[in-house]
Amino acid sequence: MMNKRSKLLYVWVAVSAAILIAGIVLFALFGFNTSLDRPASKTVDVSYNVVVELSEENKNLLSEASEAAFAANGVTYEEKLELEGQADPNSSSQSEFYPTGNDFTLRYVFDADVSSEALANAVTAINEAVDAASLGTGASVTVTTHTLSLQTFNESLWRAAVAVLTGAVVALIYVGVRFGVGCALTGLAAAVNDMLLTLSFFAITRVPVYAFAPWLYAAIAAAASLGLWLVRCMKLRENAKDPAFSALAADEAVAEMCKATDKAVFALAGSALVILAVCAACMFSGGAAVFAGALVPVAAALYSSTLLAPALHVRVKAAFDKIKAKRARYTGKKRAARGEE
Amino acid sequence: MGKKKSALLLVLYTLLLALLCVICTVSFNYGTNGLYRFSSILELTDKDADLGGEYGANGSYGGGGYSTVYYPEGVISAKEYQDDLGGIADEAERADYEAKYRAYANGTLYLEVGTACNEEGEALASFSAAFDAAVEKISDRYERLHTDGARVSVRDDYTVEVFLPQMMENEYYAVSRFAFTGELSLRYGTSEDTATDALKIKVGETVADYVSGVSAGASGGTHYVVLNFTDAGAKAIANATESAGSSSDSSDSSSSSTTNYLYIYVGDTAIISLTVSEPITNDALYISGSYTAETANTTAILLDTAISGTENDLAFTVGDALQIPAAYGTNALMWLYISFGIVFVAMMAFFFVRYRLLAFAHLYTYLLFLFSAILCVWAIPFLYLSVEVYIAFLFASLLLSAGNAMTFEAARREYALGKTFASSVKTGYKKSFWKIFDLHIVVALFGFIVYFIALPGLQAAAFVLGLTAVFSGLGVLLFNRFAWAIMAALSKKQGNFCNFKREDVDDE
Repeated sequence: MMNKRSKLLYVWVAVSAAILIAGIVLFALFGFNTSLDRPASKTVDVSYNVVVELSEENKNLLSEASEAAFAANGVTYEEKLELEGQADPNSSSQSEFYPTGNDFTLRYVFDADVSSEALANAVTAINEAVDAASLGTGASVTVTTHTLSLQTFNESLWRAAVAVLTGAVVALIYVGVRFGVGCALTGLAAAVNDMLLTLSFFAITRVPVYAFAPWLYAAIAAAASLGLWLVRCMKLRENAKDPAFSALAADEAVAEMCKATDKAVFALAGSALVILAVCAACMFSGGAAVFAGALVPVAAALYSSTLLAPALHVRVKAAFDKIKAKRARYTGKKRAARGEE
Repeated sequence: MGKKKSALLLVLYTLLLALLCVICTVSFNYGTNGLYRFSSILELTDKDADLGGEYGANGSYGGGGYSTVYYPEGVISAKEYQDDLGGIADEAERADYEAKYRAYANGTLYLEVGTACNEEGEALASFSAAFDAAVEKISDRYERLHTDGARVSVRDDYTVEVFLPQMMENEYYAVSRFAFTGELSLRYGTSEDTATDALKIKVGETVADYVSGVSAGASGGTHYVVLNFTDAGAKAIANATESAGSSSDSSDSSSSSTTNYLYIYVGDTAIISLTVSEPITNDALYISGSYTAETANTTAILLDTAISGTENDLAFTVGDALQIPAAYGTNALMWLYISFGIVFVAMMAFFFVRYRLLAFAHLYTYLLFLFSAILCVWAIPFLYLSVEVYIAFLFASLLLSAGNAMTFEAARREYALGKTFASSVKTGYKKSFWKIFDLHIVVALFGFIVYFIALPGLQAAAFVLGLTAVFSGLGVLLFNRFAWAIMAALSKKQGNFCNFKREDVDDE
């Protein structure tokens, strides 16, 4: 009574393998697209410094002059920040930042591909506008363009990888103790597959992510995979105790397990997907990308707990059942021999 | 349980939740002209560099962080160049100053000829190499802080922009200290001017032959920095300080002893000065004082990385600092709360439709779970609110809801078979106990293991996942059953209260 999806193990393995290989190759070549962290961008800082007091009127004047200059030179900024100047961190006796009250910076962030020449022209235009305007005694304005490239902190990445893998292994040791080694092995294969599938998805599609996000998604994939597989394992064990199901062959037992738990698995994964989609829809800024990206690991966990893991577990369970039967025969023979003596 | 007892317990439970709700979520101004402010726990909770907003009566900004730029020697900003030039009245001096620098990166930076660039304004190879090495060292320092949101970027090829989140207590300390470069040295003497090298480092040796490492530690609430010496270092420091504490001024009849100091330098800056009252004979030097966990850690990282420093390291000047708002935008936190509101309403709608008044039991359990989580995130020092932490909390919320639904469904099935209400609930819990236990223990195990190995912010999210999984387990198996018992006891028709129905049996 092997159901259709369990028969297609080789198809699921091939799908996973194709995605993983493509993901590994592309990751090795290009890494993840961490452009949300702005590894390379250009900024224009319009710094306004006065001795006495900052004027809202002058702030607005600078803002209007800057934006007019950008529009005139055909450059569009991606983000505008109004930054308060803080106490300069050069005193060893001080311990905290505090606003100076007379430093203000308008920061315009541009894509790295924006023409430097156009930005330089815009900066000249802003300077001319500032010179023409009367900003009050003691006021000085400096306009500069900057190019940024982010340094990667590798320790947090490799420690996250080790942490997620170790966490999954330890959790599955518990599963092994409670539900049998076969269930733990299938669970481990599914969890590792889901983590790698998730990472491969981001490497292949080049969807922009924050630098910290890939391993967060891998952790979500592992946790979701563990949770969903556990739901299957619970039913499998429950059935094994039931005389009506305990004699079933591996493929039939797995088919029964899937039949009984599909609804719960879809309900759990579906709820998680809906929750994340709602959160992504509610956040209009960078946070939306984090939630939207988190849909991928949940989808990966749903895929493997529905298709790959059951199909794989048919083989794993069959192998373990065989070993168990052999051991039972061996024990039986021993007992029989002892009886004869 | 009697009705009176149930009613009393329900009132007390409701009051507790109402009190927690106010403490955790409601902020308001009070007093004349709203002078004072009651800040909710949620408002007081640290927010990471990605989330932030204007809190407090004075509109102070919470979340986000601080950024500044390190300028290496030979490099100055356009502002400094313009200010310096504007301050020189003499034409000849002005021309000299102009000749000293070359504009770089469209005039954003000015490089000093001979130090950073040649006459044509091209950066010197030696300067570029020294700058790359310095960036690596500064990145290493910020990475070792293990602070979520810390960033180091190279700006305009020859300056370093650093960023630390506001949720750090001593971010200013770290930003100012990490600009110091050069090699670690220990000097001993009666004053900073007369102090000499305490380790007596020989030609061909470095400080690494004398100091094996520097770390931070804590004992009984006191934070300290530990300098670990090698055998040669322990011997050298013992020799240097052997006269400490003894009367040294023989001409003084009052036999007053001279105060000796041990100065710990990074480059030309004295980072620590210690009064030495007796010879240092141990192979480790424990330095305590007014350190916090963060300042002790920062100092230890600075000194440890300075072991591999050299006298040729580039020196840096710290530039203007700016407060940077949250990366996800000004209103990100508000949208996060709104998203939670929508999810919460949807969850409750499901429970009310499916289980009618029994949904109140789930509501009470969930609120207790929610407020416990908020209190823990606020009270546990290394936790803070971030999108990652929120996702972990949502995951545990799903676990709690699934657990409650599982027990409700198990009891519903028993009730349908004709059992009494009390027996149905008991059997329902009995049948689902191990399922709920396994599910929660596996998630909690995973969360705590990841917490122990990962670095922030995955660490914070993993801990919250583990902790809320434990809360969820307790909520489902303990508090939900309690709420169910006291609420059902007040109802005359307990089956109707829970929207449970008996199975129809056809009598033929």
